This record gives sequence, C-alpha cells and structure tokens, in this order.
Amino acid sequence: MNELHERIDLEAPLSGDFQAVVRLIIGGIAERVDFAFEEIDDLQLAVERLLAEAGQVGSVQLSFEVGERSIRTRVGPLSEAAVAEALRDGDAPPGHLTLRRILGTVVDSFGVEDLGDGAIVVRLEKLKGLP
Amino acid sequence: MTTPQRRSAVSSEKAREEDRALLRRYHEAGDTTAREELIERHLPLVRSLARRYAGRGEALEDIEQVGAIGLIKAIDRFELEREVSLATYATPNVVGEIKRHFRDKGWAIRVPRALQELNASMSGAIERLTGRLGRSPSIAEIAEELKTTPEEVLEAMEVGSAYSTVSLSTGPGGDEELDPLETIGGEDEEFERSEHRAALEPALDRLPPREREILRMRFEEGLPQTQIAQRVGLSQMHVSRLIRKSLSIMREELLRMPPGAA
Repeated sequence: MNELHERIDLEAPLSGDFQAVVRLIIGGIAERVDFAFEEIDDLQLAVERLLAEAGQVGSVQLSFEVGERSIRTRVGPLSEAAVAEALRDGDAPPGHLTLRRILGTVVDSFGVEDLGDGAIVVRLEKLKGLP
Repeated sequence: MTTPQRRSAVSSEKAREEDRALLRRYHEAGDTTAREELIERHLPLVRSLARRYAGRGEALEDIEQVGAIGLIKAIDRFELEREVSLATYATPNVVGEIKRHFRDKGWAIRVPRALQELNASMSGAIERLTGRLGRSPSIAEIAEELKTTPEEVLEAMEVGSAYSTVSLSTGPGGDEELDPLETIGGEDEEFERSEHRAALEPALDRLPPREREILRMRFEEGLPQTQIAQRVGLSQMHVSRLIRKSLSIMREELLRMPPGAA
C-alpha cells in the first residue's frame, strides 16, 4: 500500500534571525508524525547546518513531504559551490567533521540534485524510529 | 611568620610559573596535553566571569561554554614574551567572547519568562520519560508530562536550543562596551570566507575538550544523544545544545581564520 504523503512548502529568508522560525516549523511538522525529541533535533540540525552554509542573503525554499513514518525535506536551490563540494566528497578520514559526515549521522539518507548553473537542491530523509 | 596574604601571593606566583611552563610546552614544543591542562586550570576563571552574565535569559552553562572559547583563543594567542599572567590576558578574551555572544543573539534575551521556565523543566521531564520509556520521548509525551501543549513544548525547545548563526566576524558592535582591560587580548581580524569552510575540522581545536569529545561520540562513534548524555553526565537537552552550539561556533571560527589556516 502506498504511504500517504502530505506536502508543505515554505520560503524563508536566509538571515540568521529566521532560522529559529524554520526550526520551529520543522518541530511542528515532525511532531505531527510523532517523531521523538531526538529525531526532531536531528532533522532540525541537518537543515540548520545546510542553511548555515547557504549564507545570510536572500531566501531559500524548503519543502517537506510528510509520510506516516518519515519526513522528506528538500532544501534549495542552494548556489554555494562549497556546499555541493562538501556533500559530494568521498568519506572524510576519521576525525574530520564535514557537512557530509554531519548529515550522514543525523538523517537516514541524503542526496544532491544538480539543477545546473552551480545550483543544487539537497534532499534529506528522516525516518521515525520504532516505538 | 607567614601571613595568609603572603601564602596567597606565593601560591598565585607559583600558579603563574606553572602556567608559563605549560605555555612554553605548548607553544615551543607543540605539546597539546599542556594546552588541555591550561584549559582545565583556567575553567574556574571562565565560570567566575560567566556568572556575571547569568540571569539574562541564557543558561549559565551556555555562557560558560562561550567563555571557554575565549579562554582557548587566549591560550593559543599568548605570546611568551608577554609580561602579563595568562589569567590577566585571558580575562578580556573571555569577557569579549561572552559579550559578543549576547550581542549576536540579542533577540533570545527577550524570551518570555513562562517559556524560560518551561524550558528549564523540560530537561528533567525528558530524562524521566527516557528512563521510563526506554527511548527518546515524543513531543506529545513531554507535553503531557509537563501538563502543557505540544506547541508550547516546541517553542520552549527553541528557547534553549536556538543559536544565532549571525556571523561573529562582524566584530564588536561598539568598542565603548569594552573597558580597557577587556581589550588587552585584542580582537580577531576579519577574513573573507575560506574555500574550506564547509569542512569544520580545523576549528575543532577551538572547542573545550568536553565539547570535542561530545562531537566525536556523536559524529565518529555515531552514538545517540541519550547515550552521550549518560556517558558525560549531562541531560540530553544539554548535549543537544552543546552539539548545536559547538557546530555553529566552529563554523564561525572557520570564517574568521586566515586563509591557509584552515
């Protein structure tokens, strides 16, 4: 049976003041799926680190597909080449804390969609743990 | 006969000599264990300075964490030719770092008291529920435990965990806020973004040992917050805040490093 996915789209300023609002919204969405405190915290951290790399100017689009036991998040377009590079790098040696390693720890899967002209969208998927 | 004052002066002179020996080991021989020891020795100074800024809407341990960054910078920048003691040199760095932190996240200081109180009680509720349920609780469960709504719990989470990502590289908003003593250590130069900024590890060294260990447990060992909290003897919420802030601080530090230092 196909899982029902609700979708929420959001465009938010990148300036630091609004990142707390984005976190709050993520918390609200994740709460609807009954994510645990730690799972919410993980997803918030993943988005927060991505947005931190996107700079402070302009805005960013976020979309959330909410399933029964998962949230798929798309963040972008992000134009920062450094973000794409960090995410595409191979596994960093132990002790090296890269964006890729952070995302690999806090979400269940992530990927990059290349939109051309140096723009990317980052996809994050967080699954709800077993009750 | 030796008076208490004399004993105190002798003991503080001895401490200064020990500091200098450790500073020499660190700066001349690259002995990082000496650096760790210096950090540990001067954490009480950080705690004492941090207490001055308590009660302004920020948890004391968070202020201490920010102050510790200032201490580490002072240790790293200390020049052995200086005639001042490390404590004297570090004080303006610690205070400057704390003031900059408050300036950059001024919005958080105006959090309603009710939310601050809810945030304060959440940590205990999460610990109780984690113990009772054997897993991290949901927001609804935390709300039920605290007899409030999930929305209020979410808001209260932000009170403690939100950390402004406004760049610290904007420097002091006004030098009039710093007294002469507090400027001895100087301020960082501003630098353009480094191409290496997405890799945070060069800034890892700027963090206190406890925070480095927490990041290592989370991102190398892959331990969940609940287990880390048990290992280091802190609440899960506190671990969460330390991880978030440490990553933010590292990134901001990286932006301020000169090209090539990263």
